[in-house]
Amino acid sequence: MTDTTERNAERARVRVSGLEKSFGDNKVLRGIDFEAREGTSTVLLGPSGSGKTTVLRSLNVLETPDRGVIGIDDVEVDFAALPPGKAGRRASGLLRAQSGMVFQAHNLFPHRTVLENVIEGPVVAQKRPREEAVADARTLLDQVRLGDRGDAYPFQLSGGQQQRVGIARALALKPRVVLFDEPTSALDPELVGEVLAVIKDLAADGWTTVIVTHEIRFAEQVADQVLFLDGGVIVEKGPSARVIGDPREERTRRFLKRVLDPG
Amino acid sequence: MRRVLRGVVLLLLVVFVAPSQVAAASARDTGQPVVRVGTEGTYPPFSFHDPRTQALGGYDIEVVEAIADQAGWKLEFVETQWDTIFPALDARRIDVIANQVSVNDERRSKYGLSDTDTYSHGVVVRRTGDDGVKTLADLKGKTTAQSSTSNWAKVARDAGANVEAVEGFAQAAELLAQGRVDAIVNDNIAVLDYLASTGSDDVEIAGNAGEELSEQVLAFRKDDSALVDQANRAITALKADGTLAGISRKYFKADVSVPDGGSADLSEGRGHRGTWEVLRSTAWPMLVGLVKVTIPLTLLSFAIGLALALVVALARISSSRILSGLARAFISIIRGTPLLLQLFIVFYGLPQIGLKFPPFTAAVIAFSLNVAGYAAEVVRAAILAVPKGQFEAAATIGLGYSLTLRRIVLPQAARTAVPPLSNTLLSLLKDTSLGSVVLLTELFRESQLAAAESNEFLALYAFAGLYYWVICVGLSAAQKRLETRLDRYVAT
Ligand SMILES: Nc1ncnc2c1ncn2[C@@H]1O[C@H](COP(=O)(O)OP(=O)(O)OP(=O)(O)O)[C@@H](O)[C@H]1O
Ligand SMILES: [Mg+2]
Repeated sequence: MTDTTERNAERARVRVSGLEKSFGDNKVLRGIDFEAREGTSTVLLGPSGSGKTTVLRSLNVLETPDRGVIGIDDVEVDFAALPPGKAGRRASGLLRAQSGMVFQAHNLFPHRTVLENVIEGPVVAQKRPREEAVADARTLLDQVRLGDRGDAYPFQLSGGQQQRVGIARALALKPRVVLFDEPTSALDPELVGEVLAVIKDLAADGWTTVIVTHEIRFAEQVADQVLFLDGGVIVEKGPSARVIGDPREERTRRFLKRVLDPG
Repeated sequence: MRRVLRGVVLLLLVVFVAPSQVAAASARDTGQPVVRVGTEGTYPPFSFHDPRTQALGGYDIEVVEAIADQAGWKLEFVETQWDTIFPALDARRIDVIANQVSVNDERRSKYGLSDTDTYSHGVVVRRTGDDGVKTLADLKGKTTAQSSTSNWAKVARDAGANVEAVEGFAQAAELLAQGRVDAIVNDNIAVLDYLASTGSDDVEIAGNAGEELSEQVLAFRKDDSALVDQANRAITALKADGTLAGISRKYFKADVSVPDGGSADLSEGRGHRGTWEVLRSTAWPMLVGLVKVTIPLTLLSFAIGLALALVVALARISSSRILSGLARAFISIIRGTPLLLQLFIVFYGLPQIGLKFPPFTAAVIAFSLNVAGYAAEVVRAAILAVPKGQFEAAATIGLGYSLTLRRIVLPQAARTAVPPLSNTLLSLLKDTSLGSVVLLTELFRESQLAAAESNEFLALYAFAGLYYWVICVGLSAAQKRLETRLDRYVAT
C-alpha cells in the first residue's frame, strides 16, 4: 500500500509516450508525449484536423493507437505489444475504465431518464449497489445544477443541460481522469457559459481533466498546462499563461491570432 | 432479457422435443400397431366431414375402420390433399391411403396395393347441354379439371386433354360450371354424390369414360407387405360376412365391393343445406382452427423467427467475413425462394434425409426460418440506424458487446423496427394458411373442408377471410399502442 502511494506521488496520473495512429495512409498522430499530474487540467489546442480528438479517443481507447504507451494511474498499455483477441480487449477495457468521456454531441441515451443515464455505468458495468449509485448520482446532478431534473428524458432538456448530464454520467464512473472533447462547440452561444462554469468547478474540486476546446479565454483560466498540436505532433507545451500569453512557436502564434480575432 | 431468452429456449424445447416424444410414446404404449391413414376428408361420399358433427366419415373411412377391427390395428387419420398424399406415404408420414386409390400399372409397381374394395367406372362430366363433350374421344385438345396425380387425370391425359390441377371434385365442378374448363373425368359414384347433394344442374354426366371397370384399393408402401397381407385377409373376411356390402348399401344402395353389385343410386343425396346453416355449423370449427393452430403457429413462428433474425442480423454486420457471408447467403435464399417451397422442403424433403418433424413442428420451422430471413434485414437496418455515438457512449461507460446491444441499442432499434416487423407479423398470420398443405387443420383448411362438402365456396372463404381480417385489425391496434409507448422518449 505504502508502495503504491509513494509511486503515485512521484508518478503522473496520465502518461502518454510515443503515441502514433494512422487511418489508412493518413498518419494522424506522429509521436505524442505528455504527462498530466493528479488534480490538474490539461487543455489541447490546435487547428482542425491536427489530431486532438484522436488523442482524447486514444486515452479512452475508442481509437486503438498503432504504437505508444498510455498509462493512467496503475493501468498501463503498450499498444505496440497489445495481444490480439480477448487478452487485448481485456487490457483495453481496463485502461478505458480509468477515464470518463464527455462527447461534443452529448450522446445521452434517449430512452433513459437523466438519472438512469447517470447510474447506467455504475450499476450495470461496475455492478455497484443501485441505492448507492442513485445517491451518488443525485449528488452529481446537484453538482452540475440539475438536481431537480432526474426524471426528465434527455429530449426535454436544453442543449446545455444535456451536456451537463453528459458530464455527470462521466463523473459517476469515478474515473481517474475526465476527458472533454469540445464540450461546448455544439451549443448555442448563450448556453456555453453554464457548461464551462461546471467544468471549472470540477477542476477546482480536484478532478484531473484533459480538455479539447476552442474557447481560448476559458483555456487560459482553467488550464494548468496547454498542449498545442499541429499535424499530429505537439508543437508547444507549457503552463497556459506561457503558451497562450507568450507563445514561442510561429505556428502557435498564427493559430491563436486566428482564433482570438477572426476576420 | 435473460427471462426472454429462457422463454425462447423453453419454447424451442416444447416445439422440437415434446411432440416427437409424444408421438413415439403413443406408438409404443399400446399393444396394437398404430396405422396412420391418409385420406382427403374432402371427397364425399368416400371421405368427408359430416356437416353437423364435423366427424370424419364416408365409405372409405368405414371400410378401413372395418378392416382395422379385423386386423387388430389402431387407426390414426391424417387428412391430406390428394396431390401430396403419395409423397406423404413415401415420407412415412402415413402408412396407408384410404381414398379410392385406383389401380394402375405404375402404382402396382411402386406401392403395396390391397385387394379391390370398390368397383366403379369412370364418367365424363360436362357443362349441362354441352354437346361437344360426349365421350373420352371428345376430350382431345380440351381442358379438364382433375387432381393432377389421380388416375382420372391420367385417363384424361391419355385421351389428349390438358389437365388443370385442382384440389378435389367440388372445385373441379365449380371450374366446369364457371366455364373455365371443358370437362371432368371422375368416378361415377363421386359425381352422382355431388349432383345429388348439391342439387346442381350446371353440370351433367355425358357418358362413360371407357368400358373398363375401375378398381379401387388401399395403398401401402411396397415394403409393408405384412400390412398388405393383414388387409387382404380382412377384406376377404369382410366380403364373406357381408360387412362391405352393408357399408356400400348404406351409402350407394348398391354393392360396389363386387364387380356386378348393381348401379349406385345416390339420388336421395346427403341433404342440401342453406348457406347460413353451413356457415353456422362451420364457424365454430374454423374458430377452433384459428385459436388452436393459426394463432399459436403465428406467434411461435414469429417469436422464434425474431430471435433467429437477431442472430442473423448480428452475423451480417459482424466483422467476420465467414459469419456475414453465411448470413447473407441465408437471407438471399429465404427471400429468393417461395415460402410454399420452403414449407415443402421441410415437410416432404427433409424426411428423405432422416429429418422428420410432426406437421406443426415442420410448419414452425419453415415459417420461423422465413420470418428470420425477412426480419434479419429489418433488424440489421434498425441497428445500423442507431447513431454511432450511442455505441461509443455505451463503450465508454464500460458496457460490453451484449450489454450494449440489450440495454442501449436494441431498445432504440425497436422504434425503427416495429412498423416493418408488424408487417412481417401480419403477412405471417395470413401465410400460415399454407399450413393447410402440410396436414395442418388450421383456419383455412377448415373452410376448405366445409366447402368441399357443401359447395359454399364464396360464403365459406369470405367467412374465413373475416376471421383473418379481425385478427389483423387487432394486431394493427396493438402495433399502434406499442409505437406510442416506444415514442414516449422522443420529442414529437
Ligand atoms: N475514423 C477515422 N477514419 C479516418 N480518418 C479519420 C478518422 N478519425 C479522424 N480521422 C482523420 O484524422 C485527422 C485528425 O482528426 P481529429 O478528429 O483527431 O482532429 P481534431 O484535431 O480533433 O480536429 P477538429 O478540431 O476538427 O475536431 C483528420 O484528418 C481526420 O480526417
Ligand atoms: Mg475534434
